[in-house]
Amino acid sequence: MKQHVYYQHLKVMLPSIYRGIWGAAVHTLKTSRGTPTCRFLSTCEGVPFGLADAESIFALSSGHGRCGVAVVRASGPASATALRCMAGVSRSPPPPRTALLRSIRDPISKEVLDRGLVFWFPGPHSFTGEDSVEFHIHGGPAVITAVLQALGSVPGMRPAEAGEFTRRAFQAGKLDLTEVEGLGDLIHAETEAQRRQALRQMSGELGHLYQDWTHRLKRCLAHVEAFIDFSEDELIEDGVLNQVDRWVCDLQAEMERHLKDERRGERLRSGVQVVIAGATNAGKSSLLNTLCQRPAAIVSPIAGTTRDIVETALDIGGFPVLLSDTAGLRESPDLVEREGVRRARERVEQADLTLVVADCADLPSDAQQAAAFLQEHLRSVLPPQEQPETVFPADRLLLVLNKMDLLPEEQRLELDGELRQVSGFPPVCLISCHTKEGVHDFLTVLHSSVKTLCGDPLSGAPTLTQARHRAHLQQCFAAMAQYQRYRDLDLALAAEGVRLALTSLGRITGRVGAEEILDIIFKDFCIGK
Amino acid sequence: MLTKKLPPLQRFLSLVSRRASHATRQQYDVIVVGGGHAGTEAAAAAARVGAETLLVSQKIQTIGALSCNPSLGGVGKGQLVREVDALDGLCGRAGDWAGIHFSILNRRKGPAVWGPRAQLDRQRYRTFIQSELLSTPRLTVLEGSVEELLLSETNPEEPGTHRVTGIRLANEGTPISASSVILTTGTFLSGSLFVGQSESPGGRIGDAPSSAGLSHTLRERLGLRVGRLRTGTPPRILKDSVDLSLAHLHPPDSLPTPFSFLNTHTRCKPEEQLPCYLTYTTPGVERVVKESLHLNCHIQQDAKGPRYCPSIESRVVRFPGRQHQVWLEPEGLTSDLLYPQGLSMTMPPDIQLRLIREIPPLHRAEIHTPGYGVQYDFVCPTQLSPALQVKSTQGLFLAGQINGTTGYEEAAAQGLWAGVNAARSALSMPTVALSRTESYIGVLIDDLVSRGVTEPYRMFTSRAEYRTSLRPDNADLRLTLKGFEEVGCVSPLRYQEAVRVRDSLQEAQAALQTLSLSSQKWRKALPDMRMSETKSTLLTGMDVLQYNDVTFEMMSSAFPESLSRHMEFAQRLKIEAVYKPHCDLQKKEIERIQKEENMSLPQDIDYLTLPVSMSQEVREVLDRVRPSTLGAATRLEGMTPAAIVHLLNYVRTAAQRERKTQTHQKQEREREMCAREAS
Repeated sequence: MKQHVYYQHLKVMLPSIYRGIWGAAVHTLKTSRGTPTCRFLSTCEGVPFGLADAESIFALSSGHGRCGVAVVRASGPASATALRCMAGVSRSPPPPRTALLRSIRDPISKEVLDRGLVFWFPGPHSFTGEDSVEFHIHGGPAVITAVLQALGSVPGMRPAEAGEFTRRAFQAGKLDLTEVEGLGDLIHAETEAQRRQALRQMSGELGHLYQDWTHRLKRCLAHVEAFIDFSEDELIEDGVLNQVDRWVCDLQAEMERHLKDERRGERLRSGVQVVIAGATNAGKSSLLNTLCQRPAAIVSPIAGTTRDIVETALDIGGFPVLLSDTAGLRESPDLVEREGVRRARERVEQADLTLVVADCADLPSDAQQAAAFLQEHLRSVLPPQEQPETVFPADRLLLVLNKMDLLPEEQRLELDGELRQVSGFPPVCLISCHTKEGVHDFLTVLHSSVKTLCGDPLSGAPTLTQARHRAHLQQCFAAMAQYQRYRDLDLALAAEGVRLALTSLGRITGRVGAEEILDIIFKDFCIGK
Repeated sequence: MLTKKLPPLQRFLSLVSRRASHATRQQYDVIVVGGGHAGTEAAAAAARVGAETLLVSQKIQTIGALSCNPSLGGVGKGQLVREVDALDGLCGRAGDWAGIHFSILNRRKGPAVWGPRAQLDRQRYRTFIQSELLSTPRLTVLEGSVEELLLSETNPEEPGTHRVTGIRLANEGTPISASSVILTTGTFLSGSLFVGQSESPGGRIGDAPSSAGLSHTLRERLGLRVGRLRTGTPPRILKDSVDLSLAHLHPPDSLPTPFSFLNTHTRCKPEEQLPCYLTYTTPGVERVVKESLHLNCHIQQDAKGPRYCPSIESRVVRFPGRQHQVWLEPEGLTSDLLYPQGLSMTMPPDIQLRLIREIPPLHRAEIHTPGYGVQYDFVCPTQLSPALQVKSTQGLFLAGQINGTTGYEEAAAQGLWAGVNAARSALSMPTVALSRTESYIGVLIDDLVSRGVTEPYRMFTSRAEYRTSLRPDNADLRLTLKGFEEVGCVSPLRYQEAVRVRDSLQEAQAALQTLSLSSQKWRKALPDMRMSETKSTLLTGMDVLQYNDVTFEMMSSAFPESLSRHMEFAQRLKIEAVYKPHCDLQKKEIERIQKEENMSLPQDIDYLTLPVSMSQEVREVLDRVRPSTLGAATRLEGMTPAAIVHLLNYVRTAAQRERKTQTHQKQEREREMCAREAS
């Protein structure tokens, strides 16, 4: 009995702990294409709507890639609202666990987004134990994006964090303890996927924009805080707050434009991100050309021919892939090449799958030595934080040994046999881009890797992160309205608005701590109490 | 409280020495070393909790002395004073007794960030503190210098590699033993004083340096990591030599607001209060600083000084070409000195005189005592638990500047909490922690023990994430009840008052909630109110009281039958109404954090070999910081969600194992008993 009570307590504890640390984690970042209307922008009387942590979550539950049907799942008390206002289900609840064919509408504009199946799973008989709803919709990215964004505008709904559905299932006692043991690893994998995605997106134009907003908001907060904590005893000019007023106003206007502008932003980098990397002259560009069956990249015998990233969109067995060829990794005195190498390393860090290409002719003739050489080579290509202690991540790495035609048959077999024996080695493919030998087998291996990655809705999928960013930006916008509302009434509550705005934006760009704010204060003001 | 008569100082001192005469043979529960703001609060709190307590100070006369500025409170610091008072500490009541100029800072910026502050009469403050200590039961004061700490075998049932069991006094050599020892040595730990190019050992001018033995014990025998910080104080100026007509007069509030929840008025009558004066530095000041930098060895040292309390030298160097404020503050009702806030300096005394005379009102000022700098050792506070106990050493607690903080209020807050825990530990009660979600004291201690310090730590309201909930007006509701019910440091009298306040506030809020009218009816009832929009829903009294131009007084005169009896709390109700919606939003977040903080991590986990999948980096961070709760662990840099899940799983299974062992042991015992009875 006691044990049971203790377990109950844990069940209550666990999800809240997750949310704490996930709230602080850097989230992914992507362009806000899609719905043109900007929702929740009205500044309502009282506490700004949408600032409370929404209790209900939604996410794309099916994998990425070309598919006929996509499944979007929502869980929590607002599921019923979503069902009512998006699927036109009248007040009385529909029969549970029964397929209903419905037009799926935007809850605000009432525009029809798709026609699909809707399932109602009232709690506790659902995966998470809460009221849940599933939308089975057509699999195109435009439809998925529209439905996710529509869900984001249902009051009380927010995009799910990594692993959140599983955590809720755990909370409701829907998972047994052995399944929970694996939870940490699952969460690790999902946060890793999010981290890669965030890196990918933060290096883009939009990342710079959000960083710039964060920086400006930090400054706003620092100046309000300086006025609160120091102005009574210090020489802090009265103009400080007027300046903050202007900054907040400008930021709001920019954010509003951004939320309304559907054309803005980068090209959608959709699909599994596959990067070709390795030493110079290993045949990386030849591999790209072989895969896309056209001379997309310049190929020459001169080491260091490729200096910038060459990107090609490919279809591998029905799955979308964005293939990037990168500069060969080597120390170079040439400034342009050095930049190319930096970009190459950055791209490897952001990749879902890395194809490490090595030249067979560079290998030592002894098979054992060759294996050690390749191990070292893999380490030099992978970013330091992914350096494994024993095993290379097999699902995120393929080793391609090019120019196999230059090896004698005997050595080839010996090498192949040896590499299969080394534990913790990624899958290896011997190919020749020149004679096309081994290319077919390589494609089979690549196809299965991409297929696995596509099963993971987080890999390469921009739609969910878009919805998440939109939600955070809208919260940020609403919080700035709180600043304006309380500016002359209660500066503590006004500052709270800026702080909430920064927290919301920080969910995209990273957390901002009190020390950082104090650093700005002491840099900008001479404070000497 | 303010009506009582203080005993004359002479009689007081003789009483103290009488007590001291037979002190040395005794055994105490708690020994407090140091009689500053941390030490006095620590000793008083330990005694309130019920421990036989000994306070050892180098000079009984200087107990309760204000070493630097003659003021208490301010923005952020005022919140700390209110919280110390809510836990029945001394400094709030001492401030009300000794204050000679009261003002609420930030009056126009919202009640959450109001900063109650007072200029103090140094003599009165000291007298009050000394008198309080004297009348505290179970507390003995002893004059003496501590030579070293007594160490002994550790208690194997508790974590820690060392154990402190008492102190040895200099000269006498007699050991005095205690279960807990609190060090509040301020700037005296390896302290050095700097004026110009001369350096001498000491922690405060006019006082003997503390013994090198203590410092040696901490570093060498207990293996504690220490760092070095610096601070400074301005020259004191003879009031008669200052031309105050050239400075701006700064009057106090016309109606003084007391710090203490127990007081309705201050000792100083409104009309007896003294003003402060404001003046500015001139380009001449900058010139003198720059010409004398080579004669100033304190400023050239690289020990970290506070960024927010810089000497005039560092202000001029960092922000050249600007005017800086200088406040001229009274030192007491009868004192003939002025304290120039903002002119802390360490240059040679003749140059100090040249410098101050560059400021118009001080053009012929005379210096009574020159300013000086202090450098001192502090113990890196990440080595402490949230109870302010040294994690590696049983029985040793630290509070105040020794932990890297600056300021009277920060010291008092830590002192109180260290005193509470030292006493609880000595009396075999579990130690207690304050969360950063419920108090500024919690924020202060959490920042210290989980993040450490790189410069002297001072409290700001911006450090408190839940500032709108942690207001000076509600410190009693947040802490007094808990202080009595869970901590044991609050007197029944104060507790009863807090209960009365809580019940009345709840009753008044319920009365406001039941007043539910349409907006038209509200407009009729409160004609002065401007309610622009027409709302279709009914509004409660709490909703309407949020409006900027509505006061509780207005509502009370409109609905006297239900509200007028709550007039005593008019201001608190108004504040509560304005902040309630925001605090309700924060509540969920606060509850989450509190749950995490209730989940404690064993202090003896070997993180480096823990059999769970965790990266080396995370293991090292955990091993270095040894967070005491899961909540603290989530706030560590480099912590991953996966690691938290693994930790949680580990703690859960460990708890289950322990429970099994306990049940097993219990069954064993029962079997034994049965067997014995049977035989």
